[in-house]
Amino acid sequence: MTDLHPDDARPAAGADTPAAELRGITKRFGPVLAVDGVDLVLERGTVHAVVGENGAGKSTLMSVLYGLQRPDAGAVLRNGRELRLRSPLDAIDAGLGMVHQHFRLFGSLTVAENVVYRAEPGRWGVYDRRAAEQRVTELAGRFGLDVDPSARVDTLPLGVRQRVEILKALHRQAEVLILDEPTAVLTPGEVDSLFAVVRSMAAQGTTVALVTHKVREVLEATDRVTVLRDGVVSARLETARTTAGEIVEAMIGRGLKPAVNPRGAVSGEPVLEVSDLRLAAAPGAAGVHGVSLQVRPGEVVGIAGVSGNGQREVVESVLGLRSPDGGSVLLHGQDLAGLGVRERRGRGIAYVPEDRPGMGTAASLSVADNLALGHHRTPPLGSRARLSPRAVRAQAGELVRRLGVKTAGVNAPLASLSGGNAQKVVLARELHHEAPLLVVEQPTQGVDVGAGEEIHRLLLDYRARGGAVLLVSYEISELRALADRVLVMLDGVVTADLDAADATEEVLGAAMVHATRPDDGSSRAGS
Amino acid sequence: MSGLVARLRLAAPAALVPLGAVVVALLVGAVVMAVAGVDPLRGYDAMVRGALSVSNIDFAVASFTAILAMSLAFAVPARMGEYNLGGDGQLALGGISAAVVALYLPAPAIVLLPVCLVAGALGGAALASVSAPLSTRAGVPVIISTLLLSAPAVALTSYLVRFPLAERGSAVPQTSRLPDAAHLPSFPGTSYTNAGLVVVVLVLLLAVRVDSRTPVGYEIRVAGANRGFAAYGGLSVPRLTLGTLVAAGAVAGLAGAIIVMSQPFRFIDDALTAPGYTFAGIAAALLAGGRPALLPLTAALFTVLTVGSAGMERDVDVPRQLGQVLQAVVILVLALRVLAARWVARRARDAVGGKV
Ligand SMILES: Nc1ncnc2c1ncn2[C@@H]1O[C@H](COP(=O)(O)OP(=O)(O)OP(=O)(O)O)[C@@H](O)[C@H]1O
Ligand SMILES: [Mg+2]
Repeated sequence: MTDLHPDDARPAAGADTPAAELRGITKRFGPVLAVDGVDLVLERGTVHAVVGENGAGKSTLMSVLYGLQRPDAGAVLRNGRELRLRSPLDAIDAGLGMVHQHFRLFGSLTVAENVVYRAEPGRWGVYDRRAAEQRVTELAGRFGLDVDPSARVDTLPLGVRQRVEILKALHRQAEVLILDEPTAVLTPGEVDSLFAVVRSMAAQGTTVALVTHKVREVLEATDRVTVLRDGVVSARLETARTTAGEIVEAMIGRGLKPAVNPRGAVSGEPVLEVSDLRLAAAPGAAGVHGVSLQVRPGEVVGIAGVSGNGQREVVESVLGLRSPDGGSVLLHGQDLAGLGVRERRGRGIAYVPEDRPGMGTAASLSVADNLALGHHRTPPLGSRARLSPRAVRAQAGELVRRLGVKTAGVNAPLASLSGGNAQKVVLARELHHEAPLLVVEQPTQGVDVGAGEEIHRLLLDYRARGGAVLLVSYEISELRALADRVLVMLDGVVTADLDAADATEEVLGAAMVHATRPDDGSSRAGS
Repeated sequence: MSGLVARLRLAAPAALVPLGAVVVALLVGAVVMAVAGVDPLRGYDAMVRGALSVSNIDFAVASFTAILAMSLAFAVPARMGEYNLGGDGQLALGGISAAVVALYLPAPAIVLLPVCLVAGALGGAALASVSAPLSTRAGVPVIISTLLLSAPAVALTSYLVRFPLAERGSAVPQTSRLPDAAHLPSFPGTSYTNAGLVVVVLVLLLAVRVDSRTPVGYEIRVAGANRGFAAYGGLSVPRLTLGTLVAAGAVAGLAGAIIVMSQPFRFIDDALTAPGYTFAGIAAALLAGGRPALLPLTAALFTVLTVGSAGMERDVDVPRQLGQVLQAVVILVLALRVLAARWVARRARDAVGGKV
């Protein structure tokens, strides 16, 4: 793996032989039939969307293609030849690459070091930094991926880190690239530049499989669509000849009824009042420089902006996960200074964090235990001295049913849930607090359109019952669907405060673009 | 990555691996015996009789009491992912504390017995508690600080029993015999099996209950599963660390107190640490895989290995160290399984290139 263009290493194949093909793939997890006899043909130089509801089997299918999971039945073909995949290493050798939703980079290494990892240029085991950086620059230039090869990865925003992941796969000569929900954590600008890269790769002969929940992305960036439903293919479509409605119909078996947002008059004393919040900037964080905001009962206040502009710091200061250098946070008029997370939650704050695996869930615990956190010291689950396992399971069963979480049972470990279903668990737990203030980051990340619509409805119901919501989202459409007011944050200050009526896609997009440097911030520190 | 490991764990039915570890250990023992020219069946028969025959069971139960307590002392912090390797020090400090109270507090049995037990628990807890702030404030891992603090604590008790507390005129480094009021009442017809077993079993039942039916037990499991999730939920990891370590040290100290309050009713230098209760307890806890309810079973198994190997030495002339070898093999197999899971995970990670 030292030569950049070993085209000869691959068997020659006719132009019409598919670059990769899955035939009759079946994969079971215990009682769960995740994928059931699925065929998938990835034609050379095309972008192929794989869509479907949460738990439809998309990730499982892609893991089979990349050698991460062994199928119970079926075959993986590359250029018409059957592959024996014992691990991803075999898949990489066969010219496959995968970018996972949660990036796997070494934060303390530079971009170039990450890209060439395990295929370092150099002589006698001595790493040649200049050669590595030059290679990365070359490769990046060829595909229009804008990165600084000598930057440390942990100082980069998520969108740029993702480019590093893609470069890594390209550097290993991936000719078939799998992207599993690549846009879930990206801002609109980052999504646009990702798709530009994907198109340029396809034009140069790379084949791309793209897993996504966003129909708009399917229409914008792909050539073909395979829709999975409950582990089987429910439709094969050609993007140019289909419509959003047809795709959604195939995914969820019905049309969409977007949540209506009856905006009522907002009144009453603010539930949350943040005044002149200040946090020093640190390497990798923009800091917060005098942010003030209020959320009233029955109001959704959205925070828009490129990730890494201080939203995280504001949220963590409200929750008590971090103490600000200055300013105040008031809940129902009472200063929360000096209070820890437990006290603040006890006074009525619920929180859906963006970092689901690191903060929002414990993968090794059961679904029931994941749903109990924060409820475990109060009736009906328990008291200070007592916790009833039966009540924990009963409540979990009820919440799982209410939100339609797909799981083998409440005793199953959370790790066995698909990404979107894990997100529903977090939401179910936090909504169930019925706290006066709900802080949500990216509530529909990784959630399918049907469930996303359902989650929006749940949040609006919550607001209609008088709840106050502070919503951090990178999706303009989500902010528009939910928020009564939208603040735009840039470099730790609020640069725009818009009424819902004024916060049109154009205005918000412009505020964020205007707010952002042309390269959407690869020179600035990320989240 | 944790997802992959979790998947591997799912794949292997939970009970299979520990059972396999025991089987492998017994097979290794059989091979060793066969090589030494001993019929393995006779050897194991001698081992079981060495622990469980009518004449030996009395002593075996006393060992079981100590091993069960020490398994709990390891299992409680292990529930939140902290490893207490300082059992010996906690055991010794507990023993010496109980002995001092018994020797210097003139009181009737009804008062002295509970006070001595509590003193022992406090002695062990005091030592273990030091590791909590060392971990949460200074960043010294619990597994290291407990181990490092153990040796000086044992040495301190050695010094005490040789000089200030030494029995006058005795060649053995030991305290005087404790007054009758500090002798744990034994069961009729036995000399070693006493109320200490009842105390430890009650403590175990309490631990099982706390683990499965209290908010604190739940919080300990949450902290063990994901510290970030615990902090997000408002749980205080420093407090939970302190709590589990105090509980662990208290149980170990209690075991020390029970030993000095049983035959021969003295603190004898080395008598608490030499039999290897701490190591057997760790092995039993590892074999139980963090489920406190299984501890009696695994502790019984290691009691047979520990106590029975003496009988084996006597009857079939196989060195008693074989018992320790078998314990080590069990731990090794369990550790290999963790390493294998890590190795598979690493291979997968290398394939995709590290993590943030
Ligand atoms: N390791 C596992 N153990 C048990 N069940 C699993 C495991 N991995 C996946 N599943 C189950 O298989 C089904 C398909 O999961 P998969 O992750 O492929 O869904 P997905 O289409 O990627 O969903 P999402 O959009 O939510 O990410 C789900 O019901 C899931 O619970
Ligand atoms: Mg998925």
